[in-house]
Amino acid sequence: MADEKDPRFDRLLDHEYDGITEYDNPMPRWWLLTFAGTVIFSVIYLFDVGPIGNGKGRIADYEAEVAAAAALQPETPSMIDPSQLLAMASDASVTSAGQQVYASYCAACHGPDGGGLIGPNLADGFWIHGGSPEAVYKTIAEGVLAKGMPPWEKSLKPDQMNSVTAYVLSLAGTSPTNPKAPEGDPYTP
Amino acid sequence: MSSAVLPMEGAAASPRLESFSYDDVIVRKFLWATFIWGLVGMLVGLIVALQLANPIFNTSLEWLSFGRLRPLHTNAVIFAFAGNAFFCGAYYSTQRLLKARMFSDALSKFHFWGWQAIIVSAAITLPLGFTQAKEYAELEWPIDIAIAVVWVAFAINFVGTMIKRRERHLYVALWFYIASIVTVAILHIFNNLSMPAGLFKSYSIYAGVQDAFMQWWYGHNAVAFFLTTPFLGLMYYFMPKAAEGPVFSYKLSILHFWSLVFLYIWAGPHHLHYTALPEWASTVGMLFSVMLWAPSWGGMINGLLTLRGAWHKVSEDPILKFFVLAVTAYGMSTFEGPLLSIKSVNALAHYTDWIIAHVHTGALGWNGFLTFGMVYWLLPRLFQTPVYSKKLMELHFWIASFGILLYVVAIYSAGVTQGLMWRAFDTTGRLAYPDFVETVVRLLPMYWLRVAGGSLYIVGMLLFGWNIFMTWKRRPAKYEVPVITAPALAKKYVPAPAHGAPVPAGLWARFAAAGWHRTWERMPITFTVLTTVAVVVASLFEIIPTFLIKSNVPTIATVKPYTPLELAGRDIYIAEGCFNCHSQMIRPFRHETERFGEYSKPGESVYEHPFLWGSRRIGPDLARIGGKYPHLWHVRHFNEPTSMTARSIMPAYPHFLTKTLDFEQIQSRVDAMAMIGVPYGDAVRGQAPAMARAQAEEIAAEIEKQGGPAGLADKQITAMVAYMQRLGMDLRAQPTTVGVAK
Repeated sequence: MADEKDPRFDRLLDHEYDGITEYDNPMPRWWLLTFAGTVIFSVIYLFDVGPIGNGKGRIADYEAEVAAAAALQPETPSMIDPSQLLAMASDASVTSAGQQVYASYCAACHGPDGGGLIGPNLADGFWIHGGSPEAVYKTIAEGVLAKGMPPWEKSLKPDQMNSVTAYVLSLAGTSPTNPKAPEGDPYTP
Repeated sequence: MSSAVLPMEGAAASPRLESFSYDDVIVRKFLWATFIWGLVGMLVGLIVALQLANPIFNTSLEWLSFGRLRPLHTNAVIFAFAGNAFFCGAYYSTQRLLKARMFSDALSKFHFWGWQAIIVSAAITLPLGFTQAKEYAELEWPIDIAIAVVWVAFAINFVGTMIKRRERHLYVALWFYIASIVTVAILHIFNNLSMPAGLFKSYSIYAGVQDAFMQWWYGHNAVAFFLTTPFLGLMYYFMPKAAEGPVFSYKLSILHFWSLVFLYIWAGPHHLHYTALPEWASTVGMLFSVMLWAPSWGGMINGLLTLRGAWHKVSEDPILKFFVLAVTAYGMSTFEGPLLSIKSVNALAHYTDWIIAHVHTGALGWNGFLTFGMVYWLLPRLFQTPVYSKKLMELHFWIASFGILLYVVAIYSAGVTQGLMWRAFDTTGRLAYPDFVETVVRLLPMYWLRVAGGSLYIVGMLLFGWNIFMTWKRRPAKYEVPVITAPALAKKYVPAPAHGAPVPAGLWARFAAAGWHRTWERMPITFTVLTTVAVVVASLFEIIPTFLIKSNVPTIATVKPYTPLELAGRDIYIAEGCFNCHSQMIRPFRHETERFGEYSKPGESVYEHPFLWGSRRIGPDLARIGGKYPHLWHVRHFNEPTSMTARSIMPAYPHFLTKTLDFEQIQSRVDAMAMIGVPYGDAVRGQAPAMARAQAEEIAAEIEKQGGPAGLADKQITAMVAYMQRLGMDLRAQPTTVGVAK
């Protein structure tokens, strides 16, 4: 304490309460300066001086953030060629990766083996929203909100999108244990 | 020591000596209640910590799930543990600081038993799901009325004691008690104004933005005036007592007291940064929180500097150790508070465990350790025998300190980890952790560390209890009640002849000498009124604009009241305490809108009595959950969350599928909502149960069609599904592109 050399330091007041006494010490200067500093900061902030303040406001900041991100990223991730997807469906290294994605995100509704549960059967060759590779990819990517299928485009990485599409295509013709009745139209490649 | 003559004021005062004794029976009662409820509150805390680490601890009993027990933990620790500790210390110190027995022993007893009855009723009703859904104000309206009555009894008793005091001036500890008593009453009454819809159900009279504002005006100041100012008062009495030295600075006491009382009350909106609260309110909340830093630290400085010259005692005296750690924890959490209130910091910390760590630094360190030190100091004086074991006190100190350290380090890192995971984008511009549950399971190791840290703290609590019990066992057969003799206060104040410095010359010097404040200290009623004015004026500056400025809440035409069935679902959501883990408030950040959808607008909450924005996201935000999944998904998810999200830590709610929904009751709920301004109109008059049944049948049929179980039409699940599917849908009905469908 810088003030300790002050002769007025540690002078007792004539206050006494149940044996408790009080010094008349000055308030620490650094403390007073801190207090004053926060008040000055608050005034500056309130009047939005320079970089201190709300600036354009939280909604404008958000819109700028979205615009900056949009400028940086292409609009939609390009889907790979449908024939490539079809080829991947018979590539075990791709479908095993796809199976893992499927187990984490799809199995809850479509059953662990694609037999359908809340969502439709994926193995019976019948499709509500089309069975072509590009239609299946689109359904997974964009979802079908009206029927409760969420869009996965934002949640899955591009390679996960492709591998899970390939895996779903590979389910065609398998025989799940508890198959749900077919829904939609048959699709033949 | 059967009698003592206390010194008197100026020699000119009339020396009419009066004899009296202090009521320590009531202090002993509050001491026991402090320990017992403290242990209960902390054990419930341990249970909820375990539930987060592994959901099996939710058990299959619906009364013991996290959403119902978490409010029990917070209420027990705040109002039962800290509350009884405050009363214990206040009843002991007030009588001695005023040289007077409490105004009325009957009121003291009423206060004690009334408060314990309120705690018991909270412990029963919260697990039963009776809740107002406002944090730390969960208790339903009949209990709220009881709280108000008991609090007023306490206030009368306290003011009465001040009036019949034999000490001319009010010591700083009493200023803090006054501020606490007055402000808690105001906060409690105005935040809990609600419309009853049955004996254990009510709806806040405020809605949406206004309700959120009122709640956090209350919530933040519950921290201020229930956990801070009462304990500063206790610190000002028990710390100089234990240190046997003078308080560092009287001037500092004055400035930090008034600045604290005046500034604290503004700070509430910092709990609502980036929500639909108007930005001006958010800014005011932040700036007043920043300005609170120094006033808060004033208390810490006055406490720590009171120990100057006594530091050698700290190494030998466990009581002083407890006090030093308490005041240090206070300093840390009151530095962190302003830091967290800065918007950009809050953007990261809000909804995460950072806030949980912050409050536990305060609760375990400041409130807990101050209580432990105070009780250990009181033990020999109340039970009139030396403390059973100083060694156990030392052990308690070290175990509990280590417990706090383990707890907060784990939970700070959990908070920062989750906050950073939420906002992380990968190089393709996608969320790096789009699957919410990923950001939850990452925290589980930290949650287990918290269990360990909390358990250590509870071990300390058991040592504390053992020491209290053994000291009590050695009490004398009959407590000695010392007779105190002190002169009554003369009608007119005659100052004692000045010794020491002469009256300083100059206006500023005279002001700085604080004689004016000394005058206030002689007038307890004036002092109480001035404190009330400080608090009320500061509150009105924020409350009036929040309620009156129309542009705070732009109307959205498509936002409509809930259907009767949806309202019933919302009531279940409230009863289960879902809001303890799920927010319904998407902030305007790209990472939030990418994850959850369009950010929440103030106009969406206009019929939200009470608001359900939430304060912690243990599960994902639900503001836009409507229409995201089919009905059957929700049915299966409520029944067994892990069947839909394998690593989910959400408790299961299979009883939604088996318990019958009380359709007839819905009418009274709708009517209560209509009474507080929700435009239900004539169509719903008397028709609510029929409308609800019709909607429930539709939902049940759809569930069956999707391959789900049949016969759910009269079950609670239909109401829950209806409510879930409604959330966020009103905004979607709004044309969002400019110029379309005008």
